[in-house]
Amino acid sequence: MIPLKKKNPWKKRILLTVLALILIGAGIYWYVATEKFADTNDREAAYTVNALDFIREFHDNDSAANAKYRDKIITVNGTISAIEPADSSTVNVKFIDTTTSSYVIFAFQEQHAAEAQTLKEGDVVSIKGSCSGGTFSEILGVEKIDFKRSALNKDKK
Amino acid sequence: MKKTILALALVAITGSLFAQKKTTTSATVAFDASTAIDALPKAENKTVVAALDAKAGTVAFEATVKNFAFTNPTIQEHFNGEKWLNSDKFPTFTFKGNILDASKVNFAKDGTYNTNVEGTLSVKGVEQKVKAPATIVVKSGVVTATSNFSFKLADFGITGAPIDGGKVAKEPKVTVSAEFK
Repeated sequence: MIPLKKKNPWKKRILLTVLALILIGAGIYWYVATEKFADTNDREAAYTVNALDFIREFHDNDSAANAKYRDKIITVNGTISAIEPADSSTVNVKFIDTTTSSYVIFAFQEQHAAEAQTLKEGDVVSIKGSCSGGTFSEILGVEKIDFKRSALNKDKK
Repeated sequence: MKKTILALALVAITGSLFAQKKTTTSATVAFDASTAIDALPKAENKTVVAALDAKAGTVAFEATVKNFAFTNPTIQEHFNGEKWLNSDKFPTFTFKGNILDASKVNFAKDGTYNTNVEGTLSVKGVEQKVKAPATIVVKSGVVTATSNFSFKLADFGITGAPIDGGKVAKEPKVTVSAEFK
């Protein structure tokens, strides 16, 4: 009589653990690889500010202003000073403090590029965007504050 | 009367000299470090400050590192992180240089001029000399300058496993484009 070969339960457990780890790893990789920034209009702003007050805050102390606003979603309300084409399909919107020439500039999120094209100098608007912080421009001799992935704030909140 | 004419002439000359320097706050810099393994490490910054001094034959740009917009949040976080660009400490890329054969470019006449630009690129606080081909297009008083070049990340102290593993190009391509009115 041939004795029955006893199955090793650990082999099965190790195999299942390895398989689970592979699946978790693949899931994390897929999540990271396909993750995209949300529409800025759907994100809540950390602060809502007046454009000129905002520029002056950076102009007066950009270290403190950067610590407060950088890498956050900010809503800025103001009157458009200039519209500048960035390339053939997009424009940037600027608010300029005419007393210092310091400015804040907004590059728009891809899905909001068309609405930016409808704006014109003198329009009173509310723009929400991701604040990249303020730096002193050696070329222009002024403080500049950059925004990316901006959108017209339709809720006006 | 003579003094008035002299003063007016001085103002006119000064104005003419200042007009030689043109600036824009909406130049673009595209950064592409994608590879066959990973298409994500690429971004564009559309709020770059650029200057062109036609008389002196100089060009310059400043790009806020944090304003490079990636599609992927994780890649953008890595790009700005301490091991990569460390943008909290080094907030701008800068370039200052000269048009090598500026005398061949007639900024007053419509045309396309192929030239070379040489200067100092500063990334993550490290300065390196770079030389790149550039195209200058003059049309109805508007000057459009574009340049494509690549640089070695290691030359600027940027290293790490994603670069060694081929997920990030060792020599990213950079495209600079600026329109001066």
